[in-house]
Amino acid sequence: MTRTILAILKRELIKLSRDKMRLFMTIFMSALFLFIFSFITKSSLSNISQPLNYLISGVVIMTVFQAAFTNSMQILEDISSGFMKEILVAPVARYQIALGQVLASGLVSVAQGLVVFFLGFFLGFRPDFLHAVVMVPLMFLVGFTFGAMGLFLATVTRTSSRFQLLVTIVSLPLTFLSGAYIPTMMMPGFLMPIVLLNPLTHATAVFRWMALHMESLPVAELIRNGVAFSFQGFTVTPAMSALLVLAMGIGFISLAVLKFRNADFSHVEIFKKGPH
Amino acid sequence: MPRENAIEVQNFTKKFGNFTAVDNISFAVERGSRFAFLGPNGAGKSTTINTLCTVQEKTQGDLLIHGHDVSRQQDQVRRDIGIVFQESTLDPKLTVEENLRLHCDFYRVPRSEVQNRIGFVLELVDLLQWRKAPVGSLSGGLKRRAEIARGLVHFPKVLFLDEPTTGLDPQTRASVWDYIQRLQQEKDITLFLTTHYMEEAEICNQVAIIDHGRIVAHDSPANLKHDYTQTTVHLDVREPDGVRNYLSHAGISYVEEQGHFSFKAQQVTESVALISEFKDSIQDLNIQKGTLNDVFLSITGKEIRV
Repeated sequence: MTRTILAILKRELIKLSRDKMRLFMTIFMSALFLFIFSFITKSSLSNISQPLNYLISGVVIMTVFQAAFTNSMQILEDISSGFMKEILVAPVARYQIALGQVLASGLVSVAQGLVVFFLGFFLGFRPDFLHAVVMVPLMFLVGFTFGAMGLFLATVTRTSSRFQLLVTIVSLPLTFLSGAYIPTMMMPGFLMPIVLLNPLTHATAVFRWMALHMESLPVAELIRNGVAFSFQGFTVTPAMSALLVLAMGIGFISLAVLKFRNADFSHVEIFKKGPH
Repeated sequence: MPRENAIEVQNFTKKFGNFTAVDNISFAVERGSRFAFLGPNGAGKSTTINTLCTVQEKTQGDLLIHGHDVSRQQDQVRRDIGIVFQESTLDPKLTVEENLRLHCDFYRVPRSEVQNRIGFVLELVDLLQWRKAPVGSLSGGLKRRAEIARGLVHFPKVLFLDEPTTGLDPQTRASVWDYIQRLQQEKDITLFLTTHYMEEAEICNQVAIIDHGRIVAHDSPANLKHDYTQTTVHLDVREPDGVRNYLSHAGISYVEEQGHFSFKAQQVTESVALISEFKDSIQDLNIQKGTLNDVFLSITGKEIRV
């Protein structure tokens, strides 16, 4: 079983290393976001002590999220290239394939997150060593969760064009209602339920909490910094956010595995060439 | 002692909605033999292969591969078979070798053997010098060979080839086919192929002709030709009168055109007798055996549409 999963991981890493465009886009997009949002936030974040760290941790988490989503989307490419057929006739359990794919998304997104991490380092991003070490598994957790979500969406939509549309529809609100770029404190109250249901909100909060060394701050201060949330008298602490991300990750991978196991994929384009 | 069967199919039916793609077919394939499904597009060939390969669920019937049920014992079946699909199913971004390695991982080929086996199959299909090339950069013929190599690297007991040479130029087709025969002899595996090329069906031990989801004939190529076609004899003679009399006497219907006779020979002896009788008068002689195409034509009343 581990052999199958490792083989899938290896394949994804080889493909990432050959996909220069994907690596370039990661660097380009995050540099762009860092640049643009640093102007916007300079004024509006005046009440936040470390605006650069605040912003960079947001961009890192966004990169991890996008990378995981994009990586899970590769499965659609496998369907159109025909490679999915090779996977489906192989004597391996479907859950292993799903698990391998999602773990790969986690790993690939950590790799891309680290690229931004180092980009941020040049701009003055200075997490201490211990924090930096903890942030890697955290990135992995976030990558895993959104990889699972992406895989689930991919198995539901099955065609590349529809998935692209869905990615836009899903990822845009997730992004802008997460506090990664626009601080949640600035959002109108009626959006808060959606913000709090957004897994990316919690991923961002936990990551930021770590990146900005806010462990010792009181809850009221955490809320003011947008890494803890108070909703109808209930307080969501960063620790609870971490658990929420994990829970959503497990939820999505279960759904994806279920979907993957039951799918006979025979109505997927490549099998659909008709009744021969 | 008869050999056991590699594939057994009993009363297999597959429906897509109201359309019956395969209609209650039964057949068996002996271990180590070559078996061809011959028929036009849409006859039910790929549906049968997809069901045997566990990628499609049957509607009805029993399908066994080496004694394992394709619906209930998918894992055992998948381990025993190799498949070369009609279209490419390689990962275009990986190299030939990486594709094969991945396949070995999926099929749990012992790690210590992986390297040797990859070398062995790549040599078999003459692809050693391409092992480091990304599959996406290969030509159609090279891809097909890589695909065949991959289908073999786990040493399957049964190899399915769904139109293995479609879309290839005649030369590549011949060489791909050469490789297939070589490996079959070397590894003693059972070959199951679908094709609409007569030459490919010709070299199989058994041919099943399938049309509209039904098997309309199933036998060795020689027997099929014997049963469904007649040998045509073409004769050019200097003195047509004698031949004309001879044929009329023997009750053989013929066509004559300026000293050129053609007639269907029921028995070989008939034509031999005729030829020796008129050997001094014969200017030209052409004996045409029936082909599988004639068999198909005579059974279904139409040519195979390519």
